[in-house]
Amino acid sequence: MKILVVEDNERVARFVVKGLGEAGHSVDHAANGRDGMLMATSAPYEVIVMDRMLPGNIDGLAIIEALRKAGNHTPILILSALADVDERIKGLRAGGDDYLTKPFAFGELLARVDVLGRRSSGASAERILQVGDLRMDLLSRRVTRGARAIVLRPREFKLLEYLMRHANQVVTRTMLLEAVWEYNFDPQTNVVDVHISKLRQKLEADSEPPLVRTVRSAGYMMCEHA
Amino acid sequence: MHRLLRSSAATWAIGYVLLGLAALVAFAIPLWLAWSVTIRDGRTELLRGDAQRLTDVFRREGIDGLTAFINARVGMQIAGERILLLTDASHRRLAGNLSAWPRGIPDKSGTDAVVVELDEQPAGAVVVHTALPGGYNLLVGRDLARFLPLERRFSYGLVAAVTFLALFGVAGGILIRRELLSKVHGIRQTVSAIMQGDLRHRLPVRRSGDELDTLSQTINGMLDHIEHLIRGISGVSNSIAHDLRTPLAELRSRLEDLALTRPPAAETFAEIDAAVADVDRVIRIFDALLRLAEIDTGTRRAGFIPVDAAAVAAEVVEFYEPAAEQKGVAFSFHTAGESPVAGDPVLLAQAVSNLIDNSLKFVTATGAISVHVARRPDGAVEISVADNGPGISDADRPNATDRFFRGDASRGTPGVGLGLSIVDAVAKLHGGALQLLDNRPGLRAQMVLPAIPLLGSPAVSGAALGSAAQGDRVGSGWHFRKVPQSRRPSGHGA
Repeated sequence: MKILVVEDNERVARFVVKGLGEAGHSVDHAANGRDGMLMATSAPYEVIVMDRMLPGNIDGLAIIEALRKAGNHTPILILSALADVDERIKGLRAGGDDYLTKPFAFGELLARVDVLGRRSSGASAERILQVGDLRMDLLSRRVTRGARAIVLRPREFKLLEYLMRHANQVVTRTMLLEAVWEYNFDPQTNVVDVHISKLRQKLEADSEPPLVRTVRSAGYMMCEHA
Repeated sequence: MHRLLRSSAATWAIGYVLLGLAALVAFAIPLWLAWSVTIRDGRTELLRGDAQRLTDVFRREGIDGLTAFINARVGMQIAGERILLLTDASHRRLAGNLSAWPRGIPDKSGTDAVVVELDEQPAGAVVVHTALPGGYNLLVGRDLARFLPLERRFSYGLVAAVTFLALFGVAGGILIRRELLSKVHGIRQTVSAIMQGDLRHRLPVRRSGDELDTLSQTINGMLDHIEHLIRGISGVSNSIAHDLRTPLAELRSRLEDLALTRPPAAETFAEIDAAVADVDRVIRIFDALLRLAEIDTGTRRAGFIPVDAAAVAAEVVEFYEPAAEQKGVAFSFHTAGESPVAGDPVLLAQAVSNLIDNSLKFVTATGAISVHVARRPDGAVEISVADNGPGISDADRPNATDRFFRGDASRGTPGVGLGLSIVDAVAKLHGGALQLLDNRPGLRAQMVLPAIPLLGSPAVSGAALGSAAQGDRVGSGWHFRKVPQSRRPSGHGA
C-alpha cells in the first residue's frame, strides 16, 4: 500500500515510517503541513497518516479540510495528543476517517492503517461474508461452518461480522471495543479476550481448524489458516 | 474634581440636585405669578370699593361733606395705610394726606401706578383715580412698600430652599459616593488579594441584603467553586507526582540496569517488553486522570441526552458476562423496565463497567455479583453493583473514592486506584452520588442519579432535583438512543 505520513516529530516519524515499511508498505514522509499538502495532492496514496499539530501553525485538520474540499477522498488516520471526546469529534468532522491518540502502540497504528486502506479498495455491500468454510449471511443472519449451523447472540454476531469483514487484517482490542460495543474506554479486565475465546469455542465446536489467530502485542486476525 | 465627576455616584447626585432645583423653580414661578396677580387684583378691588364709598358720600353730602369725611378719615388713620386726596378741577388739594397731586395721572378715571411724596419720602403707590362731577378729583391709593417685605420673604424662602436642596444634595451625593467607594474598595482589595493567589479571602457580606450584598454573595459562591477546583487540581498534581513517579522510577531502574549489566539478548528483550508494559501503565494512569479531569470540568454535560440507564447497564452486563462466567462467578442482572436519566451514555457505561470490573477483581471463584437498576418513587434512578467479596472496611470507606486510594484488599491486584474516582465523578456529573454500602458481606456500590432534569438547565444540584416533581416528564416523548451519531469514536466497520 502507498502511505503518506505527515508528522513533524522526527523520532515518531522514523518509527512509523520504518514500521510501516517493514509491514510491506511503501511510505513517504512529509515533515510539515505544506509538504504534506503538496505530496497528498500530487501523488495517489491509499492512506494518509496525519499528525494534528504541525509546525508553522498549520493544524492538520485544516489540511484535511482542504484536501476534502479539493475532492481528495483518501482515507486519513489522524494522530493526536488531544484525547478528549470533543477533539475526536472535531477530527472526524473535519474529514478524518479514524483517530488515534498519542502515545500509541505501533500494532494499533498498523492495524488501523490496514483497515483504512482495505476500506478504500473493498466493497462493503456484500450479502455473504466468507472465510474458509465459515459463511455469514448478512440478510438472514445465518452463520454456518461447513454444513454446521452456528447459533450466535447478537453481539457475538456483530463481533464475528467485524472480524470477517477484516479477514487477513489485524484488529486490535481497542478497535473491537469501539466498533462492536461502541465503548471508548479500556476495561481493566481482559473482557475482549474472553469474548474472542467464547467465539472461538463456537466456531471450533467440532474441533475444526482455528480461524481466529492471536497476534502478539497487537490483537486478533481472522484468516483461513490461522 | 475631575476624579469626582468620574464617579458614578457623584454624577448621579449632581444630576438629582439639578433635577430638584428645576422642579423647585418650576413650582415657584407659577406660584409667584398667581400670588402676585391675586394680591394685585384684590388690592385694586379694595381701593375701588373705597373710592365707590367716598363717591357715595360725595353724592349724598356734596363736596363739603366729602371733605369733612376725608379729613375725619385722615385724622383717624395710621400713617401710610391709605393714600387719600381730594382736589378741585385744577388739582388743588381740598383734603387728604397727600400734599400735592402726583404727576403722571391721566385726567380720566382709572387705576395707575405712580410715585407719591409720602412723609416727605418718595414711595411707589397704586392709586384709583375717580373724576367726580364738578371737576373734583378723588385719589384713593395704597403704598406699595407695604407689600415689599412679603415679596422679600418669598424670595428669601425660595433662595433658602434652593440652598438647602443644593447643600444636602451635594453632601448626600458625597456621602453616598464615599459609602459606595468604600464598599467597592473593599471588593477591589479582596479581589486583588485573590488575584495574587490567596484564595481564602471572601468579600464582606453585611446582613442588609442590598444589591452589593447580593453581588458579594454571588462572587463568594464563585470563589468557593474556584477554590474547590484549584484544590482539586493541586490535589491531582500531588497525586500525579506521587503515583506516576513510582512506575517511572521502576522503568528508569529497569532501563538503567539493562544498560549497565548488558544481559544476553533473550533477557534483554524480556526486559524491554516489561519496560513497554511499565510505560503502558503510566499511559493508563494518565488517560484515567485526563478522563477524570474532563468529567470534573462538567463540559460533558453539554452532550447530555435522554438515556435509558437500564439499557446501558444491560449492555455492560452482557459485555462482562463471559468474563464472569470464565471466573465461575454467579452474575445476575435485575431491572424494572425503562429507567430514564439525562446523561452521557458512554460515561454511564464506563461507570457501570468500572463497578463490575472492581467486583470481578475482588470476588473469589465462588462469588456472586448482582447488578440492579431500579426507579425510585421520586423518579431517581438507582444503579447498584453488589458482590460478596471482601468489601471495603469502615475505616477505608470515606476515602475509597479518593484518587489513587487503594484499600488493603486491593494490594497485589491490577489497577491504578482511579476506578471508583471515575464512578464518583460520573455520578456527580449527572447530579447524583455514589454510595458505598456494606453488603454483609461484600460491597454494594450504588449510583443514585436524579430523574431527567430540564435539558438546558446548566448545573443542577441533586437537592434541587429531588424536590422538584419531574416524574411526569419521564417517558413521554423521550427518544432513547445508545450512542449519538456524533459521539461515535470512530467509523470503521460497516
